[in-house]
Amino acid sequence: MTEEPKSPAHIGQGMDYGEQADVQQVHAAVQREKREPRVGAEPLSIWLIAIYGLAVFFGGAYLGRYSGNFTGGGLDPMGAPPPAKKTAAGPGGGEQAAELSPHDRGKKIFAANCQTCHQVNGFGVPGQYPPLAGSEFTNGGSRRMGMIVLKGLQGPVKVKGQQYGTAVMQPWDKTLTDQKIADVMTYERSDWGNSASPVTAEQIAALRKELASHPESFTEHDILAAPDQDLPGGAAPKPGEAAKPAEPPKPQG
Amino acid sequence: MNAAGIPIKEPAISAAAGDTEQLERAYIDASTRVPVLMFYTSAMAWLILGTLLAGFVSFKLHSPDLLSDISFLTWGRVRPAHMNVMVYGWASMAGMGTAIWLMARLCRTVLRYPLLLVAGAGFWNLGVLLGVGGILLGDSTGYQWLEFPGYAAIILFVAYTLIASWAVLMFRYRRGEQIYITQWYLLGAFLWFPWIYAAGQLMLFVVPVQGVLQSAVGWWYANNLLFLWFGAIALGTAYYMIPKVIGRPVYSYHLATIGFWSYALFSSWTGMQRLVDGPFPAWMITASIAATILTMIPVATVGLNHHMTMQGYFPLMRYSPTLRFTVFGAMSYTVFSVIGVLISLRSVARYVNFTQASIAYSHLGLYAFFTMVIFGSMYYIVPRLIGREWRYASLIKLHFWASAYGIGLMTLMLLAGGFLQGSSMEDPSLAFSESVETVLPYLRGRSLAGLLLTASHFIFAYHFGLMLLGLGRTSTVPTFLNPVEAEASGGH
Amino acid sequence: MKGLAPLFLGIFGTFAFSWIGLTVVPNWQIGHLNPQSDEEGTDIYPQPQSGMFERGAHVYAANGCIYCHSQQVRADYAAADIERKWGNRRSAPRDYIFEQPVFLGKMRMGQDIANIGARAPAEQASPAPAGAAAPPASPSGGTSPAASVAPQGGAPAAGSPSPPSSPAPQGAAVSSPPSPAPSSSAKVSAASATSPAPNIRAAPTSPVPAAAAASASPAASPSPAAGAPWPVQTAGEPPMYSAAWHHVHLYSPRNIDVDSNMPSYRFLYEKRRIRDTRSADALQLTGSDAPPEGWEIVPSYDAKCLVAYLMSLNQSHPLNEVRSVGGAPAASAPAGSPPASPAPGK
Repeated sequence: MTEEPKSPAHIGQGMDYGEQADVQQVHAAVQREKREPRVGAEPLSIWLIAIYGLAVFFGGAYLGRYSGNFTGGGLDPMGAPPPAKKTAAGPGGGEQAAELSPHDRGKKIFAANCQTCHQVNGFGVPGQYPPLAGSEFTNGGSRRMGMIVLKGLQGPVKVKGQQYGTAVMQPWDKTLTDQKIADVMTYERSDWGNSASPVTAEQIAALRKELASHPESFTEHDILAAPDQDLPGGAAPKPGEAAKPAEPPKPQG
Repeated sequence: MNAAGIPIKEPAISAAAGDTEQLERAYIDASTRVPVLMFYTSAMAWLILGTLLAGFVSFKLHSPDLLSDISFLTWGRVRPAHMNVMVYGWASMAGMGTAIWLMARLCRTVLRYPLLLVAGAGFWNLGVLLGVGGILLGDSTGYQWLEFPGYAAIILFVAYTLIASWAVLMFRYRRGEQIYITQWYLLGAFLWFPWIYAAGQLMLFVVPVQGVLQSAVGWWYANNLLFLWFGAIALGTAYYMIPKVIGRPVYSYHLATIGFWSYALFSSWTGMQRLVDGPFPAWMITASIAATILTMIPVATVGLNHHMTMQGYFPLMRYSPTLRFTVFGAMSYTVFSVIGVLISLRSVARYVNFTQASIAYSHLGLYAFFTMVIFGSMYYIVPRLIGREWRYASLIKLHFWASAYGIGLMTLMLLAGGFLQGSSMEDPSLAFSESVETVLPYLRGRSLAGLLLTASHFIFAYHFGLMLLGLGRTSTVPTFLNPVEAEASGGH
Repeated sequence: MKGLAPLFLGIFGTFAFSWIGLTVVPNWQIGHLNPQSDEEGTDIYPQPQSGMFERGAHVYAANGCIYCHSQQVRADYAAADIERKWGNRRSAPRDYIFEQPVFLGKMRMGQDIANIGARAPAEQASPAPAGAAAPPASPSGGTSPAASVAPQGGAPAAGSPSPPSSPAPQGAAVSSPPSPAPSSSAKVSAASATSPAPNIRAAPTSPVPAAAAASASPAASPSPAAGAPWPVQTAGEPPMYSAAWHHVHLYSPRNIDVDSNMPSYRFLYEKRRIRDTRSADALQLTGSDAPPEGWEIVPSYDAKCLVAYLMSLNQSHPLNEVRSVGGAPAASAPAGSPPASPAPGK
């Protein structure tokens, strides 16, 4: 509002709503305003451009380095890109699993099921979990080993001259298929310096039928009562192995 | 007239023979009066409500048994209610009010179709009301910054369509060749907001994306709201107010251009900085961190531009409320961005993620930067709409200092508390409750800061109310914060 | 800038860049994930939730639980989440494909709860998210004879590391005592009738097997020993993270932990007179929050749904793309390293 003597008539308590039509009386506020802003045209400093270039460069380098190859599966910024091959348990991984050898399949099954107790190096845990590496059961006939894996083992057992007995091995007949048991046994019998005959799914299937009426897990006594032979119908023995196949070698199943 | 050419006495010329530009501006101001005041008044009401809710939130965090048995007052509902009232009620409406006035002034045309804006404001208020009510009654969607239930969100969208149509029409009728810097930012803001809001609503609620992508979209939205809606409005406002008040041109057009485009390019990529180390492909997070670092480019550019523009005129901050608030806000923009970079780096995020530090970051952006700039613009614009000057310089000073100290203390408390909380969480030998114990005293300190902010807002609301009632000062001289000497070089 | 057109184009283009880059492209990459299943098509993880769980998730959203609790476990190279036993592996996108809304969370004024369902005691857990067939479970240290003499029952106050040995129903989760480690959700094989302990999926980072079982069984007083910073099981409280515990925690957090600053959610509960007998749902409250004589506090339907939802939060199932720390590891890690897990107990 200006303070000029002849102010326009306005209604109300001092609000200037009434002066819509009387803008001849320009607000002092508007009058004293500076003009509307305008832009100068100072040139850019070359140093600024250099710093920006550096920033973009380092930003880009960071982006390139820590992005896990820009894949959807690369969750680890520092890691290499995830393996292109999906594993057996992934969707669509079934057919790829079949391309793996029994040994490799067995290794995965071992890792998922047995490793916790028997350890990744097959050494087991003293007093608790017997070792598989160099064990007479693993290296011997596949029958005893198959019995243990299928039906489990409880009670004290002596392996490689050491006594074990505080742990109980669960039966795997309900949890693993014949093929899986065969694969994991094949793996165990050929890794960590072991060299024993591979095991096929048919052999395990036959053993399973044989043991169908035997509900409880075995004890050491039961195991030792069984012949230390390979299961019938097995594959050709590997060179240098100790087990005696009961039948002429058949192609690996 | 004094050295700076500012009339601190009655103008020597009469209006009839006055500058046509002045006349034009006066017409424009008069035409913007009702819509802008509608937005401002609504915003003030939401500010007060939001501040009360904020006090509740802050106190209940360290005194959880306060009024805890009432379902609509439980902390988990009041907190999103506070956030949404502040974001959509106060900040958006005040921002739109300022943007409307700036658009009208810069398009150099009177405000046409005011009904669009009036309807827009009405619907927007309705939407916020329904939304906040919905949250308190248990309809929150669970996504931060998007908690409004669908029935409120759709009303907001309708309201916004009205407002955006107005903006487009104004642009259609603009006069003048040049599109000033502020208009770039405002145009950007008005175009970006509906896009991010629609994308957020569609991708989260209508045709939801799968799994963790919902969280990614949610934080993409939140950060974009902060930068491309609020940040853009505030930067545009600062680009108008600073050169306008001091009467000098902006330092460099080229800096402004680079600042704008790099801002648009990089800030929109920063969303994942809130989800560092989360269950996402590494490249998304790294891209956001890289983008956050690269936002240093617009920050440096805009900061340099403003600084060089203000060069030699900093003493004017002693007198002009607008300048003081705006420069505070603009400087806070730098601080906010630098802190953003720091807390996003993976090595730091390790300690700072999931702590109160992210609250500090949000408030730095929304309050120290956006709200302070808007306060400054309100101090400039309201006298031009009402025809009165602000009544009490002391109240303006109180407002400024209470706000400045309040947000400063809050930031300090939450950043320090957050770091300590995070360090405690990172030490697995400490029980988890240790981290909460560590941060509790800082939360109490934050409540103290909240008291300052509450006082500040009530003071401003009271002052604004006086203006609305026509109880401002009648004067040709603006309300300076400190008396201007005859040979001073300051003024509006 | 003189032209409106370049301005418009620029505004559109710069933003389209981010919208496509941060929302559309990730949608192509991880927006259509399938749950993981093994060769037989069983053991599907994760599975969609429905019914009470879904409603519980909405109660969770409505009451703003997300503002204090997070549901994402960070990798061990990134943070101490796994060391805190909040999970046995980091969270991956596949964990959340059936969640809507997704509650990753941004704040930890309360613990991360991504695996809180996994820590429930055996007989209380909700059906685990995996499929019907018995899984390739590996025995944990619970098979030690010390386990067979372990006390049964709810309160694991004695701290023996064995789970209750009765063949829990398929899908029950097994708990370790509060102190050492959380257990993973387990599927109990019915064939375990004879063995003293059911077959359980190896507890995540359970220091379980040898050492714990052999030496620590009676002692294991749940103190926050190094590596086990859990809140302790307070005497008189329901077993940690059981449904009853959750109800007490929601009704009166300071009953569980006096330093907690979690708000109480009493409006989710009803106070009513005890009819002939105490109802089975009634909360076990002590102290000043206990209802007066003749009254009981029962959860409303929303409270039950919320607790059901909480009990279903379980990300311990191994994923192929993420390495599990300890226990049954995934077959491959993102870095392509061979399946390796730190030997438990070693």
